[in-house]
Amino acid sequence: MRPSRGFLVASLFAASLSAGCAARLPEHVQAVSLPSPEVLGVTAEDSAPKADLRMIPPEAYMRTYLQLFGGLAPLDAQKLARGKEGAQLFDNWDAYVSALGFADYRTDIPRLTQTNALMVATFERLGVALCDRAVEHDLRAKPPMRERAIFAFDVLPAPGVMDEGAFGARFDVLHRTFLGYPRRLAPAARTTRFFQLYRDIVGMHRTADPKSRFTPEEAGWAAVCYGLVRHPEFHLY
Amino acid sequence: MTTRRTFLKVLGTGAAAAMVGLPPLRSIADIGQANDGEFFLFIHAAGGWDVTLWADPRNEARGILHPASTENTDPSQVRLWRDAPLEGGAKTFELIRPPGSSLVLGPGAGGLVDIVDRITIVNGLAMNTVAHPDGATFSATGRHLQGGRVASPSVDTMISNELGKEQLFPTVSVRFPSAYVGDNLDRRVVPLTIGDVGSISRTLSRTQLYDANPERDRVTALLSLEAEDLARRSTYHDVADGMRLQYASLQRMLASNLGDVFSAEGLKTAHPELTYKTRFLGAAALDAAFAIEAMKRNVVRCVSFAAGNFDTHAGNYKTHAHAQQELFDLVTATLRSLDAIPHPTKAGAKLSEHTHILVVSEFCRTPQINLGNGRDHYPNNSALVISPRFKPNFVFGATDADQLLPRPVKRFIDGERAIAPPDLLATFVSAFGIDPRKYMRDGEIVPELLRAAAAA
Repeated sequence: MRPSRGFLVASLFAASLSAGCAARLPEHVQAVSLPSPEVLGVTAEDSAPKADLRMIPPEAYMRTYLQLFGGLAPLDAQKLARGKEGAQLFDNWDAYVSALGFADYRTDIPRLTQTNALMVATFERLGVALCDRAVEHDLRAKPPMRERAIFAFDVLPAPGVMDEGAFGARFDVLHRTFLGYPRRLAPAARTTRFFQLYRDIVGMHRTADPKSRFTPEEAGWAAVCYGLVRHPEFHLY
Repeated sequence: MTTRRTFLKVLGTGAAAAMVGLPPLRSIADIGQANDGEFFLFIHAAGGWDVTLWADPRNEARGILHPASTENTDPSQVRLWRDAPLEGGAKTFELIRPPGSSLVLGPGAGGLVDIVDRITIVNGLAMNTVAHPDGATFSATGRHLQGGRVASPSVDTMISNELGKEQLFPTVSVRFPSAYVGDNLDRRVVPLTIGDVGSISRTLSRTQLYDANPERDRVTALLSLEAEDLARRSTYHDVADGMRLQYASLQRMLASNLGDVFSAEGLKTAHPELTYKTRFLGAAALDAAFAIEAMKRNVVRCVSFAAGNFDTHAGNYKTHAHAQQELFDLVTATLRSLDAIPHPTKAGAKLSEHTHILVVSEFCRTPQINLGNGRDHYPNNSALVISPRFKPNFVFGATDADQLLPRPVKRFIDGERAIAPPDLLATFVSAFGIDPRKYMRDGEIVPELLRAAAAA
């Protein structure tokens, strides 16, 4: 019986395949050390930023704000911020969303990408509400340190004895909370500037009439908190 | 050989050419001085209005046109609607020809018929878009969106940048498609964008329960220094510098004690002449009251707001004419209020003599009535200008009789074509000595729209 044509083709294919596999092993090239190439010229890498600072999106601001408020939902934060004083410290989110730069999809208004003076005013209004409530919660009620939202330190018991060193240690806690890095990496003048602010506010508060609900020291720390939650570095990146 | 005569001729020709080629014929200081005390109101009729009901009225079934009729419109609330016969037993409206005017208006024009001697209408604006965001942006900036991004500053930003940098509120923008984009812009004129005018007072309100204004001012002063530091350390310092200026503006705003004045109740009390309880435009009346009050107090340069929702694709078209009537009644009432208020800085002048109003929409609506008994989007448009610098009692531009599409109206530098939003905006800013080319890529000044004195 003669082998079929298919059998012949298959045999030929198998033979050529085995011939290929039986070829000699691939060559290995040994690594050798070569002299460094000659330097013909040096061009410095341009690592300068290629774009201006940008405003963080309003959604990120809102999320951060709520996180600082203790990780609350927006309506819970609103309730806490309003407290028993109604709209004295905080109205409602509806009053602020547009000034904060949120997009309005009902009217095709896009998200704002630039700060403006009214937005800066809104940052102040919201920042004051956060800091004042935090002073009440953290410094006045004095819960355990791990339960504190912003002021994870104690105010010195004796008023008027705070020196720049004692201030700096506490300021560092706030600086890390709001701006995300230790104060020693910030420009040198910053701590001094904020310490001066603290002292000015404590002094002004001591002579203020009528008296506010805060002690001078509490007002001083509240002002430092305002300064950080409204800081340009908090809003720009 | 060059003779003395030839040399002088060449020199003279060159000097003349250089003079003609200078784009800003007046210096920047002159522009500010000549337009000191001018105020601007920009209104966006949101949703896309039906121009056949007011500026470009149609009451005949012709070509693809289905005029408004009792089958699709409720005329009971439209006080200028007079029945006119239409085929099929329905009634359309009679055209309105105000006495002493060559203008022809539709019944949605409302109060405009009483002030025809002060209005300029631009018809047949070529929109080349039927998308809301693009149409709104094109009308406000003169450029289409580029992949969803705005490419040019809006007209209110351009004006504020030239004339409003020193004002407390350069531009207040209430849901208007304002845009701060491009070069040559001062950070102080970033539009103050808000959802409603009442939020200004809420944003500026400060309790004294815990701390006092001078204490917060001290914080703001410190932040100005921090922003200055940041700018100094930045390769690009524009944004940080801008924030420093905005901190300074905030201090001025809080010191002005305007919070109570600009509350909703405060504005309603100050301007009882405006109607706040209307069916469609109550909120816009509050915006207009804010504009009047802010101009009266000389704290603003431009106020821009959106009015109404004219996006009537279905049965809600029935009230479209009514909504237009409310819009133009509001514009008229605002102008009347400005007539009655003395200018804050120009002795003997009325505020209305130095206030310039531009009303735009994103496009118009289809000439056909759709299956839902409404009208869809159509790439034609009209605009309204009320300005002492524009030719009053005047209509410019036209649409074709059968399809309501923009018709070529004059020879521009790029040939004969219809007028388009960039042309209108370029003309508008040029009326105040501003070189449109500083902000706009497109658009050509249309001198026909301007009063002779202003055009010169």
